[in-house]
Amino acid sequence: MAYVSMGEAHRRITEYLNRFCDAVSYQDSSTLCRLLSFSSNSPPLLSLADALNLFQDASGLIRQSDKFSEFGEILAHLFRSLQSYRVGNLVEAYLAFEKFANAFVQEFRNWESAWALEALYVVCYEIRVLAEKADKELTSNGKSPEKLKAAGSLLMKVFGVLAGKGPKRVGALYVTCQLFKTYFKLGTVNLCRSVIRSIETARIFDFEEFPKRDKVTYMYYTGRLEVFNENFPAADTKLSYALQYCNPKRERNIRMILKYLIPVKLSIGVIPKDELLQNYNLHEYTKIVEALRKGDLRLLRHALQEHEDRFLRSGVYLVLEKLELQVYQRLMKKIYIIQKQSDPARAHQLKLEVIAKALRWLEMDMDLDEVECIMTILIYKNLVKGYLAHKSKVVVLSKQDPFPKLNGKPVGS
Amino acid sequence: MNRRNRGSSSSSSSSRVSNTYGNRQLSDNPRAGSGGGAIDSFRRRADVVPVKRNNDKDESDNKGEDLTDVSFIVGTCSSMCPERERVTRERLRDLAVFERLYGNPSKSSTDLAVKKFCRTLSAADVQASDVRPLPVLEETLKYLLSLLDSREHPFEVVHDFIFDRTRSIRQDLSIQNLANERVIYLYEEMVKFHVISHKRLQSCSGTSISPMHHLNMEQLAKTLTSLYNIYDANRKSDSTHENEAEFRSLYVLLHLNPSSGVMGEPLSLWFRKLTFALVKSKEICFVRNLLRFYRMGNYKNFLSRIASEATYLQYCISEPHIREMRSVAVQYINSVCYKLQPYSLLRLSQNLMMKELDVESLCHDCGLETCTDSDGFTVLTTKQSTFRSPEDKFKVYDLIGIERMKR
Repeated sequence: MAYVSMGEAHRRITEYLNRFCDAVSYQDSSTLCRLLSFSSNSPPLLSLADALNLFQDASGLIRQSDKFSEFGEILAHLFRSLQSYRVGNLVEAYLAFEKFANAFVQEFRNWESAWALEALYVVCYEIRVLAEKADKELTSNGKSPEKLKAAGSLLMKVFGVLAGKGPKRVGALYVTCQLFKTYFKLGTVNLCRSVIRSIETARIFDFEEFPKRDKVTYMYYTGRLEVFNENFPAADTKLSYALQYCNPKRERNIRMILKYLIPVKLSIGVIPKDELLQNYNLHEYTKIVEALRKGDLRLLRHALQEHEDRFLRSGVYLVLEKLELQVYQRLMKKIYIIQKQSDPARAHQLKLEVIAKALRWLEMDMDLDEVECIMTILIYKNLVKGYLAHKSKVVVLSKQDPFPKLNGKPVGS
Repeated sequence: MNRRNRGSSSSSSSSRVSNTYGNRQLSDNPRAGSGGGAIDSFRRRADVVPVKRNNDKDESDNKGEDLTDVSFIVGTCSSMCPERERVTRERLRDLAVFERLYGNPSKSSTDLAVKKFCRTLSAADVQASDVRPLPVLEETLKYLLSLLDSREHPFEVVHDFIFDRTRSIRQDLSIQNLANERVIYLYEEMVKFHVISHKRLQSCSGTSISPMHHLNMEQLAKTLTSLYNIYDANRKSDSTHENEAEFRSLYVLLHLNPSSGVMGEPLSLWFRKLTFALVKSKEICFVRNLLRFYRMGNYKNFLSRIASEATYLQYCISEPHIREMRSVAVQYINSVCYKLQPYSLLRLSQNLMMKELDVESLCHDCGLETCTDSDGFTVLTTKQSTFRSPEDKFKVYDLIGIERMKR
């Protein structure tokens, strides 16, 4: 910490106080945002923090002036938080910021217009981020982390404040997204349900009114929820929306959307181009796509195993596992094509023995009963058209379109 | 049966012990405590709220001190049923058949009365003398489970009694916030009870069976969840408790069907929380394979793997899905096989791990006709249009290979 004189400290604090109160008086939201954004670690904020830690009696300063004391409570908590933040005492910083946030939201309620919405967004963002840092500190000290959970409660409160008829309601989606991030981080994803219900069914909300950026984030998270719940058509709709309206310059965000959209698309038979995977660094899907194209079951199994942890963590493992049937279909088609070239008259008869041999080449040993079972499934689920002459140990393919495409629907629907 | 010597809890005069972080007295067994942090974070409970709840408001007033100061009752009741409850129920003639002394509906004894589950429990009403400490709970559970072999009463009656009284045990555990290794054992035994009831109730008849079955499933799910929380609370680094992998695998088996409506999270979400060791464990790998076969409709592998590798508990939970996969097999085969080549039931029985007579019965349950071919073998002619799902939701056919399972 550079040497700061008492006089300089006094000056910095007073300057901040003036800026804050003026911002409120003149409804200058962007200035207010800058004044509250701790995580930006901006030089003015850091130097203010140093000044506060030196001066120690900022509250006295606030009390002295009518202009400042009007926001006395808000500022006192804010300063305490900033001081703790500066010295790396993150639990303290969170606790004080929480108090600041509560007081700020009370004031916000009294302001009739929605001028301070952006500033409120900053407060919501900061509280979540601070809570995460505080929880890290708690865990590293062997204590149980519960600040993020508390931040979640506060965010719900803010949501309640915004869920009204006035112009402030367009802010509700931003807060919803902060709540999603909180719940996803905590693993309490089921808590998303109530806020989703509010957004989607309450009459005060018109989804189209919300800012585009928030709509994209919202669709991303609700799309992910659909993936967890294995509702693939819904997941496809939502994630595709997010992809379509996402700012193309935000490559990181696009990658995140694709990470979940690709498995969903694969499960309805839509295969991404290799360039897409390369451009967005989604190499974990390369072998899977290749397995689907070649009908190579061994490759699919291998790819699933190689990235098992990653796929399990993101929740797409079960989706990808289901691709097995499509890989089988592709394999059958290949056998059919090869047979057509050598003996076209009998190509539409797939002997179970031949299939078993092909599988053995792929290092998958199956007896004929198992092969028969697989073929039964494929035919029943309309991945193969034909019938099974089980006594003759042969699958007789339909002459027309024996391997129907999925056409955008999941297998077996 | 001498159950007088139950031991008492550690404190005699004060019934409430204030537990600041890291300082617990849970049980007589010094071996049984474990890392304070994990146990203090153990909050979720089966049925009841701890006596004093720590809320965020109190915390932020604590000037940044992060002490979680919560008081939990330490029970002092030395018998299976608190004295005053037993006396009251004797007076009201509210005694279960197992609690009656020589069949007398208004007389019980300390050896027979067991504390009932009380739904409307308000924190203010709970006294330490109404709550049983851990050693007493252990004895109580042991006694209750011994009733399972009783031949005197129909199973529904036995189940009903044990169902309620074990719920009360869980309530006492919850009030005292007990979560050590001995408690793991208790929860494992209670899960086993629910699983085996799940199976046995299916062969009972009567109008009350279906709701009983449903309630049992509900409590099974709740007890499992509590058990998982206790495993987590007692975990040191990446360790796995002795039976944890098997008990975790039961969750997967309960959720094979995504739309089954069983309580809990979807599987994709649930898998995220498993430790590395659990994901790689034999039991979890086994049920993940079953999941894959089930979702694919691969009846052959599903059934043969269960027959050859499942534990008895895993088998019990899988029974509905075994039934389901068998009708699915019949449905598929009826649909895709060549009409002029009727399917031999003997072969079908081998694929479905069933006796041939049972397969025939199953076909009929599905609305399909069987007949005898010219060689005298029973066959199923395919492409019949009368297939339907079997109506009787609970009919069970033996699984060939089940004999190897230890109960």
